[in-house]
Amino acid sequence: MTKRFSKPTEDPLWLKLLLGAVAISFIGVLLLLPLALVFTEALAKGLVTFWYAMIEPDSLAAVRLSLIAAGIAVPLNTVFGVAAAWCIAKFDFTGKTFLVTLIDLPFSVSPVVAGLIYVLVFGMQGWFGPWLADHDIHILFALPGIVLATIFVTFPFVARELIPLMVDQGRDEEEAAATLGATGLQTFLRVTLPNIKWGLLYGVLLCNARALGEFGAVSVVSGHIRGVTNTMPLHVQLLYDNYDYAGAFAVAALLAMLALVTLALKTLLEWRYADELAASHRH
Amino acid sequence: MSLAVDSITKKFRRFPALNGVSLVAPQGAFVSLLGPSGSGKTTLLRILGGLEFADSGSVRFADLNWLDMPARTRNAGFVFQQYALFKHMTVADNIAFGLNVRPRARRPSKSAIAARVTELLALVQLPGLEERYPSQLSGGQRQRVALARALAIEPRMLLLDEPFGALDAKVRKELRADLRRIHDHAGVTTVFVTHDQEEAFAVADLVAVMKDGRIEQYGAPTDVRRNPRTEFVSDFLAA
Amino acid sequence: MSAIGLKLSMPQKKRKSRHVLPGFRLSLGFTLFYLASLVLVPLLALVIRPMELGPFGFWSVISTPRVLASLRLSFGVALAAAVVDSVFGLIIAWVLVRYRFPGKGLLDAVIDLPFALPTAVAGIALSALYAPNGWIGSLLIGYGIRIAYTPWGVLVAMVFISLPFTVRTVQPVMSELGLEVEEASATLGATRLQTIARVVMPMLAPAVLTGMAMAFARAAGEYGSIIFIAGNIPAVSEIAPLLIITKLEQYDYAGAAAIGVVMLAASFVMLLALNGLQSWAAKRR
Repeated sequence: MTKRFSKPTEDPLWLKLLLGAVAISFIGVLLLLPLALVFTEALAKGLVTFWYAMIEPDSLAAVRLSLIAAGIAVPLNTVFGVAAAWCIAKFDFTGKTFLVTLIDLPFSVSPVVAGLIYVLVFGMQGWFGPWLADHDIHILFALPGIVLATIFVTFPFVARELIPLMVDQGRDEEEAAATLGATGLQTFLRVTLPNIKWGLLYGVLLCNARALGEFGAVSVVSGHIRGVTNTMPLHVQLLYDNYDYAGAFAVAALLAMLALVTLALKTLLEWRYADELAASHRH
Repeated sequence: MSLAVDSITKKFRRFPALNGVSLVAPQGAFVSLLGPSGSGKTTLLRILGGLEFADSGSVRFADLNWLDMPARTRNAGFVFQQYALFKHMTVADNIAFGLNVRPRARRPSKSAIAARVTELLALVQLPGLEERYPSQLSGGQRQRVALARALAIEPRMLLLDEPFGALDAKVRKELRADLRRIHDHAGVTTVFVTHDQEEAFAVADLVAVMKDGRIEQYGAPTDVRRNPRTEFVSDFLAA
Repeated sequence: MSAIGLKLSMPQKKRKSRHVLPGFRLSLGFTLFYLASLVLVPLLALVIRPMELGPFGFWSVISTPRVLASLRLSFGVALAAAVVDSVFGLIIAWVLVRYRFPGKGLLDAVIDLPFALPTAVAGIALSALYAPNGWIGSLLIGYGIRIAYTPWGVLVAMVFISLPFTVRTVQPVMSELGLEVEEASATLGATRLQTIARVVMPMLAPAVLTGMAMAFARAAGEYGSIIFIAGNIPAVSEIAPLLIITKLEQYDYAGAAAIGVVMLAASFVMLLALNGLQSWAAKRR
């Protein structure tokens, strides 16, 4: 018995080859080529130049600033994410959908607008500008401003991950713990946290990646002072604009490696812990 | 125009789903393939429908080498356990689908199609539901629409894959009786897969009891019940 | 004695929370405080600031040729990018869901690259790639095609940044579709093309539209991956976010806020449209 035609749900071979070729070349040209270019250019002048570009004082300062900003923003956003998910998943109250929409807001706002709003509040022509200047407090063009902008663009990540997960998991276990006499904190630490740990990790991972890589919002509030208020992405821009391509791509390569590690960890988590991650991830 | 299935085998990777299955049924017969899950009954049905390919063996029906034809030319109406209705189309469009996709030469006029839809809805006892969407129907209603849809193409063979499996007992009994009535009215050769022996025996002219890819016994319901040929058959019927 | 039992037997001085689980006031309070101080208040500043221009002043700022051109560029090219991404996203999702080939998992993971890669990195990479002396730019310059420093560069960057949205919205819907409806269609006599056109595509339509809307929203507001490749010539290849920054540097806070409000309003409309789409799709199921 020979089959001379394909199954009714299979595409004919020519179509498969065509679509496959289109998909692969599109992804290759659009996504992979730029990535390849980053690493190629970073190492174009050899490993030694690459190394010196990395340990150059302004580069190191940028790395340090990025890490500090993320180091403040990510934990704060994690606490927020947990709090928001807790009250949304474990309780009923009016305005819940509005709250969830509000949490999603930064995703629909341009990063430049995200920076702009803090300038409008803290800038010299903003609401608190003169008062801050009088008291010699620097929010903009300094770490606090950068942290604020970073917090704004990254706070949904942990919350968005935990909310559907915790809603999905329900309240039974926590209610059982309550009837057994556990305090809120005990319930959270011993019952909830183990259940959400992979979702939490996933959210923190994405939050962190975005925090380190954020450009637009931070660009508006930073002031671009070389070696002082430049995060890694801003430093990349500075070097590139000054035609220091080796330097720019060196720092860019570092950021790209971070992105690849994030992608790898993300894929790993999705693959192994599909059930424990939010329902939205189950393909 | 009888159905002659001859020595069909089918393997999925290493798993032998069908190990040489043969049967003959006269034109217009109502055949039931009965057996536990894994017995190969659904695989055989899907091969008859053109949704799977046999590794070896042949099928002759209506003087045609059945397996040499792709699914869409066989004109074999297929009814799925989960209905497989087109959710984005109305009931009328679902039923008319097989007629609407015909090449212009063979396509009836719009009014003829509409008339046929109304006729079929009456036949499956769902008059007036043309403009509803599947999501607005109950399970039993959806299956009736699926049946009407399969009948719309005036099939030469009707294939049903555990069509009442997702429905409750009362609805099952009703649909079972309606199916038999429609079969008798249309005179179409029907192959009906089920794991429920009461159902098979109530509705079929010929029953094939299957196990592990083979037909253990094949014959009229009363014969099979009175003279079970193997231990498996008598155990299965006693259960 | 259970915690609840204790609560019930204690004399109630003031109306206690009727919630079973603890921590409601604390978690909701903190959440609202965080949102209010970080999101709502600053957004309020954005909405209030342009008011000092008055409606006439607001309109004159927005309708200057430079501002209009930047808005047209940001939104117009974003729409084009969303359409391109929807088409290719559909094809890519189809290949990922329906076909089997070695390395598919890797290809699937790569789709998220624009999500994960910092926009500045994408920006300089795309700029270097499509510049006249870049790997791709140098190939095209022979045919007189310039990408970098033109609106085409903006398009390429937007297509890059928005691709994951179109693929990832369609993919799960496609896998959930299952094969039965296609089998049913075939047994009813439809050719493969008819099945795809009449059965599969309409079922995917809501997801495709949702993906397109999300792609548009993201591309319209994008900054980092575009400014390096764009050229940034006022009224030609200057995107709206860049104009906002330029106005800030000139201390024209009100003007910058005006443009920001327009962009925010557009995002809002997008959000509403998306929600509308979701409920329409839900009704058809």
